[in-house]
Amino acid sequence: MTELLLNSLGVAFLWFAIEYCLRHQTARSLDEASLIPFADDPEVARRVELATGKKVNAVAPEIAKPGWGNIDL
Amino acid sequence: MPDRVAWQDFATVEAMTMSTATIGQAYNYKVVRQFVVATVVWGVIGMAMGVWIASQLVWPEANLDLPWTTFGRLRPLHTSLVIFGFAGSAQFAASYYAVQRTCQVRLYSDKLAAFTFWGWQSVIVSMLVTLPLGYTTTKEYAEIEFTGAVWMTVVWVAYAIVFFTTVVQRKTKHIYVGNWFFGAFIVVIAMLHVVNHLSIPVDWFKSYPVYSGATDAMVQWWYGHNAVGFFLTTGFLGMMYYFVPKQVGRPVYSYRLSIVHFWALITLYIWAGPHHLHYTALPDWAQSLGMAMSLILLAPSWGGMINGMMTLSGAWHKLRTDPILRFLVLSLAFYGMSTFEGPMMAIKTVNALSHYTDWTIGHVHAGALGWVAMITFGATYHMIPKIFGREQMHSIGLINAHFWLATIGTVLYIASMWVNGITQGLMWRAINDDGTLTYSFVEALQASHPGFIVRFVGGVFFLSGMLLMAYNTWRTVRVADVRMAEREAQIA
Repeated sequence: MTELLLNSLGVAFLWFAIEYCLRHQTARSLDEASLIPFADDPEVARRVELATGKKVNAVAPEIAKPGWGNIDL
Repeated sequence: MPDRVAWQDFATVEAMTMSTATIGQAYNYKVVRQFVVATVVWGVIGMAMGVWIASQLVWPEANLDLPWTTFGRLRPLHTSLVIFGFAGSAQFAASYYAVQRTCQVRLYSDKLAAFTFWGWQSVIVSMLVTLPLGYTTTKEYAEIEFTGAVWMTVVWVAYAIVFFTTVVQRKTKHIYVGNWFFGAFIVVIAMLHVVNHLSIPVDWFKSYPVYSGATDAMVQWWYGHNAVGFFLTTGFLGMMYYFVPKQVGRPVYSYRLSIVHFWALITLYIWAGPHHLHYTALPDWAQSLGMAMSLILLAPSWGGMINGMMTLSGAWHKLRTDPILRFLVLSLAFYGMSTFEGPMMAIKTVNALSHYTDWTIGHVHAGALGWVAMITFGATYHMIPKIFGREQMHSIGLINAHFWLATIGTVLYIASMWVNGITQGLMWRAINDDGTLTYSFVEALQASHPGFIVRFVGGVFFLSGMLLMAYNTWRTVRVADVRMAEREAQIA
């Protein structure tokens, strides 16, 4: 019984962790997140845009949010 | 003409790797350069140590009849140098490079970052001195004695402060998924290291663990397996999620899958350790738990591998001309292979044949050479021109030669260990009709000798590739271009 409970808790943790991280995400925001590695390199960003047809929006970074609570994925 | 300067010019060397001066609002590449050079240096020394001990198994006289150079002392030195020196320095370099570029902010605290470099190098040097002298906890991959272990913790906490504060100070909205992997690597390694090293010191270099018996073994293999899972996998997956897309010039195949991959991997990996203790005094339920979790672990491992591979969709043709990309893709292929082999070896009936044989050594090296070293080579070749202000590495041909030497070396190594492992397992458990053993241990050892020779040759191939990398790196950085490096370091 204990094992079943622990197993269920493990699966529940995994489920809630993933759901929590994806809670406000849309297909577009995930696309934008995936383009972050190119965002600080305008020349590479243009090549990626040409190859994928996706726009690398993050070249101009947003204003930093202060504080340790800023942990949006 | 670019402002080229000779690497031999000591003042310039100072400017590139030693100076603490910052360049306005630029990334801190100095500490990245230092860790990259350390990666190459420890790679050469650690792998040379591996080839030396491989030669001792072929020619026992190679132990030189000295206590400091026996297999029992040099083997932990080899593993410590390649894991903490080579792989550790590579992860410091890659995480510091990627976290700055994906957060678009300079690394937090130049001084603390410099402390992590010199502190970590002092840990490796202390291993280099104490392990041949025989100071050891005897715990695999955790041999460094109490004083060194405490110092290592201090350096690691400084690393965590630098990394996480940089993430907090970022200018981007999202924390890129690669940084989640680096973060998990830092947090979990701290936990594993502290718990496994809990001991009572009796002097500076001797301590006794607070655990005993089967509990001690379980804690050790909880640590040992997760040293593989978090030190040699999670941090390198962070590397994969940054450098594969960058080198391919395509975003990661599925960002959603990368998040599922992250949570599934860190949820499952921590439970798989007991498979190292099958058929021992460990309670049977714990062994079965370790086996079951190891089998389930195949899913996130392959999820990540497929995500990395599929990033090349529409760009496979780049493999024809880009040896750096070849390193990265081959590392993923070996990652997929060894993460399939691992769960299979964790099955109790398979483990009954494979455990204590060379098959385990082959499996570890499929991961260590094929995955860890190959992705490190790819990421390092990607970073060096950027952080030292060059268009590209000195010689693309040498990278290509390195690729083939490393690939042939890895295949020779793991194939010989498969043959040896299965031979040993079958010979050890062969029983005559009257219940006596068919073969003595020495007969199995004699049967393994050809495999030891092939393994040694494979190691020489791999080390030769590493030496080519060291030469190529030297030729690249000796004509480092300070101005271009400064331009590269500017935050967009």
